[in-house]
Amino acid sequence: MTTLVKPRALFVGLTLLCLLAIWLSLALGPVSLPLFDTLRAALRLLGMPLAPDGLEQAELILGQIRLPRTLLGLAVGGVLALSGVAMQGLFRNPLADPGLVGVSSGAALGAAVAIVGGSFFGGLPEWFAPYLLSVCAFLGGLGVTALVYRLGRRNGQTNVATMLLAGIALTALAGSAVGLFTYLADDATLRTLTFWNLGSLNGASYARLWPLLIISAAVALWLPRRAKALNALLLGESEAGHLGIDVERLKRELVFCTALGVGAAVAAAGMIGFVGLVVPHLVRLLAGPDHKVLLPASLLAGASLLLLADLVARLALAPAELPIGIVTAFIGAPFFLYLLLRGRA
Amino acid sequence: MRLSTHVAVLCAALLLGQQAVAAELPQRWVSAGGGLSEWVSALGGEAKLVGVDTTSQHPASLKALPSIGYQRSLSAEGILSLRPDILIGTEEMGPPPVLSQVRAARVQVELFSAQPDLSTLEKSVTRLGQLLGAEPQAAQLLHGYQQQLDAQKARVADAQTRQKSPGVLLLLGHAGGKPLVAGKDTAADWMLRQAGAVNLATHSGYKPFSAESLASLDPEVLVFADRALTGEAAKAALFKENPILAASRAAKAGRVLELDPTLLVGGLGPRVPAALKTLSDGFYPATSGQ
Repeated sequence: MTTLVKPRALFVGLTLLCLLAIWLSLALGPVSLPLFDTLRAALRLLGMPLAPDGLEQAELILGQIRLPRTLLGLAVGGVLALSGVAMQGLFRNPLADPGLVGVSSGAALGAAVAIVGGSFFGGLPEWFAPYLLSVCAFLGGLGVTALVYRLGRRNGQTNVATMLLAGIALTALAGSAVGLFTYLADDATLRTLTFWNLGSLNGASYARLWPLLIISAAVALWLPRRAKALNALLLGESEAGHLGIDVERLKRELVFCTALGVGAAVAAAGMIGFVGLVVPHLVRLLAGPDHKVLLPASLLAGASLLLLADLVARLALAPAELPIGIVTAFIGAPFFLYLLLRGRA
Repeated sequence: MRLSTHVAVLCAALLLGQQAVAAELPQRWVSAGGGLSEWVSALGGEAKLVGVDTTSQHPASLKALPSIGYQRSLSAEGILSLRPDILIGTEEMGPPPVLSQVRAARVQVELFSAQPDLSTLEKSVTRLGQLLGAEPQAAQLLHGYQQQLDAQKARVADAQTRQKSPGVLLLLGHAGGKPLVAGKDTAADWMLRQAGAVNLATHSGYKPFSAESLASLDPEVLVFADRALTGEAAKAALFKENPILAASRAAKAGRVLELDPTLLVGGLGPRVPAALKTLSDGFYPATSGQ
């Protein structure tokens, strides 16, 4: 198979794109800071002993608002794209996305429980209340995925087709439970739920960021090590087994990484569609199906795409902002169509 | 000469003093609550508003201000880009991390309660008056408000001696389609009761109703609040989308009232007493105009 781009060129290009996206994400926002101030504030945040004269505003906006937001975007975009690759590899189906094993719908259910039922959890300690939503979403995603995985197992074997169908069934079930909570919600909680379903990097704070950063770093380090095994799995399960791959273990790892990564991403930023499904595709269209390239390239592409989408989200309607889920699909879908049609011609 | 110097010094001192007070009061306001924006305007502070949220629809001139989005999904940097001195909102304002980011930028964040009761309102308007340097206006507005509500109460009590309280349903819709019925614990329910009606819906919150249960409740008066259309167009759309309502007792008797849906969000606003009067006039046609 010929590829459009050589892997090395792709990595150089994506790294540059990612660095550019990081810089733009730090330098641009509704508050227009002079470029020189942004630079000086960035250097000060890095520990350079510069005079702080007149930099309080720049430092606050850079350090407390834009930097956590940029880190959140990098982690969420990267981990969603990686999980997409993992799921498409696991199901050997390019239409698979992280939602297929139930992690998204489970997280949505957890979030609905937290948002609508929040008042029933009376007596929560004060420090915990702000994290209730994230914790419930994370646990919901993990719980439903574990159930899907369990349902797909028989006699020590994981049947991927059964798992897929179980995922569809549990997604439907979780969807109807979310519907029930939607019905029970009052106007205000309903809107919170709606906005949560569209995702946002807004209001990122370090306290919420650390768990996600640790988990996504672990996933980003672990999954690329399994690139060879994923390549073998492309041939089929028994073929991969003959090549000396412990297929059962690989499946377990893929599901576990996805549940953990997507669960943490969704818990931190809400539902952000499109990235997990389409970023791996984009990379595959550009560079072919080799997972050694696909995994790290998707990580970079997912992170860049999400940062750029977030830039649009916060600038388009400033001082208000758009939910990012709207933007990812709006930018990504036409681009994807273009690549698709071009590849066919 | 000496006297004039004294006067001049006194004048200067007074002026300076006033300026000092004015300088301490927040000058650039961002409001994230429809009801609060209305009160700020009513207190003469509209010129100080530099940004409002999407629920701030009244007075209409507020729509020309930069929008900071929906009150529950505010963006810290967006708000800071307006260089405000103060951000006001109800307890619905959020998300909380954004509020702490705004506070960290040394913007005063004032939270008000949106509970529809008079003592809460009194506290909020008094506080707004202090912050705007318009305490006398605040006291005057509150006094007038109280009087109007007292008069409303008396009017309803008087009307009820001559006519039974009508059973009413309040429908909240969008261009007539699939209206939600206002139940208990809503601002709509509070308004219906203040205007002397019996809310026939006994559920809690705003919920969709089946056409059959609408018909079985058979309200004497229908109140509709439409987010997309107003006046006759809204009424026509409501009956076109829900033919069963057109056959109801209320529709046949022509007892269908309209309510501005923006009155139902953000607590008690300055327009509430007038709206209550219109409603109770519709509920008790025999005593209207008194």
